Amino acid sequence: MVDIIVLVKQMHDLEQIKPDPSTGEPMLEKSPFKMETISENAVEAAVQLKEKYGGKVTALLFGNSDAGQIMKKAYAMGCDDGYVITEYTGNNHFYTSQVLAEKIKTIKHDLILLGNQSADSVTGMLAGRLSAILGEPVLGNAVSIEIEGEDAKIKRVLEKNNYYVKTHLPAIISVTQEINEPRLPPVMRIMQAGRKPINSEKTTVQEIKNFTVVSNKAPISERKKLIFEDVDKGIEEVVKVIKEEMR
Amino acid sequence: MYLFSMILLAAIIVSVILFFIPIYRQLWYAFRIPKVRKKIEPDIPRRIYILIRNVLFQGKLFKDLGGGIMHALFFWTFLAFGLYSLDFLLAGINPAFQLMTPGLFSDIVFFSVDIFALISLVDVFHSVIRRWIIKVKRYQGYNGFEAAIILIFVEGLMITYFILGVLRLDGVSKNIPGSIMEFLSPSVTPVTYAFATLLPKATGAFGVYAYWITWSIHASIFLAFLIYIPRAKHLHLVFAPFNVFFSDRKGAQLNRIDFEHETRFGATDIRDFSWKDYFDFYSCTECGRCTANCPANISGKHLSPRDIIWDLRVAVLSQGKQLMQGKNEDEIIKPVIGDPIPENDLWSCTTCMACVEQCPVMIDHVPKIVNMRRSLVLNEGKAPREVIDLYRNLEQYKSPYTIDPSTRGDWAKDLGVLDLSEKDGDYDVLFWVGCVQSFDKRNQEIAKSMVKIFNKAGIKFAILGKDETCTGDPARRTGNEYLFDILAQENVQKFEQKGIKNKKIVTACAHCYNSFKNDYKQYGLNLEVYHHTEFIDELIREGRIKLKSPESSENNSYTYHDPCYLGRYNKVYDAPREVIGNFALNYKEMEMNKSKGLCCGGGGGRLWMDEKEGKQMSHVRIDMAAETGASRVVTACPYCLTMLDDARKTTNREDKMEVIDIAEEVAARLL
Repeated sequence: MVDIIVLVKQMHDLEQIKPDPSTGEPMLEKSPFKMETISENAVEAAVQLKEKYGGKVTALLFGNSDAGQIMKKAYAMGCDDGYVITEYTGNNHFYTSQVLAEKIKTIKHDLILLGNQSADSVTGMLAGRLSAILGEPVLGNAVSIEIEGEDAKIKRVLEKNNYYVKTHLPAIISVTQEINEPRLPPVMRIMQAGRKPINSEKTTVQEIKNFTVVSNKAPISERKKLIFEDVDKGIEEVVKVIKEEMR
Repeated sequence: MYLFSMILLAAIIVSVILFFIPIYRQLWYAFRIPKVRKKIEPDIPRRIYILIRNVLFQGKLFKDLGGGIMHALFFWTFLAFGLYSLDFLLAGINPAFQLMTPGLFSDIVFFSVDIFALISLVDVFHSVIRRWIIKVKRYQGYNGFEAAIILIFVEGLMITYFILGVLRLDGVSKNIPGSIMEFLSPSVTPVTYAFATLLPKATGAFGVYAYWITWSIHASIFLAFLIYIPRAKHLHLVFAPFNVFFSDRKGAQLNRIDFEHETRFGATDIRDFSWKDYFDFYSCTECGRCTANCPANISGKHLSPRDIIWDLRVAVLSQGKQLMQGKNEDEIIKPVIGDPIPENDLWSCTTCMACVEQCPVMIDHVPKIVNMRRSLVLNEGKAPREVIDLYRNLEQYKSPYTIDPSTRGDWAKDLGVLDLSEKDGDYDVLFWVGCVQSFDKRNQEIAKSMVKIFNKAGIKFAILGKDETCTGDPARRTGNEYLFDILAQENVQKFEQKGIKNKKIVTACAHCYNSFKNDYKQYGLNLEVYHHTEFIDELIREGRIKLKSPESSENNSYTYHDPCYLGRYNKVYDAPREVIGNFALNYKEMEMNKSKGLCCGGGGGRLWMDEKEGKQMSHVRIDMAAETGASRVVTACPYCLTMLDDARKTTNREDKMEVIDIAEEVAARLL
């Protein structure tokens, strides 16, 4: 039996974000929210562990009013319980970790699972920060997880070797995208998830802004706009151009 | 004599009981096991029509001429022998029971019996040659033993029929009870007469004994046949006529799931098939026409629609038997997916409907396959990786691609097309572009060609631009009815809100066309929808567009590839050929065309899946196209275009042929 808390992030659909042509900043309001991709792997990993060892999976999401749909997806994938903490103000891992830790302290757990870094802001800080606050050990970048009695063992793939690490529970494990392929939830579960209430609450933690986003702009790439019309010679010329650029 | 009559009567009663016992069981299974209800509409005139066409005249059998003739001749013999056999047995019980009396009617009956007896006598050899000498591929490995028994039975019946007839004409049977046809003049049975004149005359006691023995053999074979029928593949003699009668006009169309009320989705075990499906199983004769025409099977995949139907039949018969003995349902009933039907086979299907089209007894294979896919997807969330990605895209981006949906209308940006997502306007025709033509560079050419054609014909048309979304076809055919339901409801709502349902809709995608024409009817949306081939054909007929006629110096030769969802699904075979007729000087049909057209490999969600097993279906098809010597392969569906154009490139035919959509050629020839 392992009781797991899985941290789920909501993010804008990156495919649908376009930079504002005048400022170069992303136009977020036009892009819908979805479950952050590596969070989806974390949920899948949590549900797989539950299916293997028994226990309960609780999803925890710090987000905004659109988070309900994402929580329902987590339910459909197999999470038993879930809490949405609203009033997410933006990318501030310092604050996010405090908010999440406050809630985590109230939930009985053996394991905390999360993505090793979010696909949208890519800080990768959360596991470490939570460890600092909660005093639980972190195993990072897991591609597989096993529970052995009171311990959790993970595999991490390094450049030339497979690295196995073990720690006692409770622990925090961050997973990589390679750990699994997130499931397609069966319809009955989707429908059950649709009927399941969303526990939504606010945090009492005060936000401390201790860093500032200076700029978030699409890099300006200058296109060469070369057109080769002679099909026979074209390939050779393209190769030449590429080789020169690579130098 | 009395004793003989009693023995015969007892034998007949036993045989009839033995005949009906399995049929009673089979009916019990069909009406007790299924948990799905199947309602059928009365629709009597059509049912009578298909019964006459497909049973009496054996209509669908002639799709395979050799096998069709062989079967039809046996079938008609079987019909002709009906009254004869009844009369024969009745006379055996008591000569006074004979039904046939002298007159024109009995002359006609016995004349046809005589002729068909000869035909069947020969047809048995024809069958033997087909199965064991020429070795017709689709028979190999299937029930040769049963076929042999039946052929021996038939041949035995025909030989004894003629012996009895010869002895009758020899005059030995005059006063023997059980002899019939005594009153006929020899000219009514010319074949028997011919045999009688050729053979030495039988007389006296020898003749009488010979008659008795032959009579007994004839009767025994007949009764043995009766007992054998419901226990083997010849069960189709009983069920096929009913199956044809009860078949609906849906073919490969799928049913809608009511997610509010239903709790079992798709087909997991034998409880999830309807009584009509059971009739399908019982009607199968393992003739193998379905598999012989299945593109997956032809291209070397394990999928065989025949095996799927037969495996289900075996499951029904064995599990049904135990259920009838009162055993616990939960212990007896096992899922049919995995074993005996491999999951991989279910995913190999392109839902091209070739099997359904070919089946002489009107079995619907495709809905069963999709129902089993539904079971995997909806109950277990199981599907190939690519299909799960497809679902994600359909959910997130409302198209099969991971592409920002707001760019859907970008292809038309500089073409001056009325985009209803950007501004309102007056229009008569909604051009439904479809995902592939909106997002795929090569296929955008089709959409652009359509714009040229619309403009030339002076048609006020509009597109939905970024408000257009997938019709849901790929979700539905891969078994994700839930996702299809969401997409379909969104579209239906949109059509109603925007007042589109009162406009003409033209689409250049055979799959969107089928969705609008058939799938969406289940959502109460009746649209006036045209496939672009139909629409272009009409424009040409009305003289609204004119095409440059081919110059004699042109040396292009053409062939046409039938999209399954246009041809078999919606019976549009002529419109595209009429259009091609306007510009093609050299035109040649491919080996498999029209209702036999071989699928490109893109339907049923397969456009987005890897094809790892066997050969590429599209390669088989492009090889067929190459055999016609065509320099231009014309098609009328973006799926087909994608598959065949890829096949053309990967088989190194880039400089030998082009694959184009019909609209592209028309647009290029506009005057």
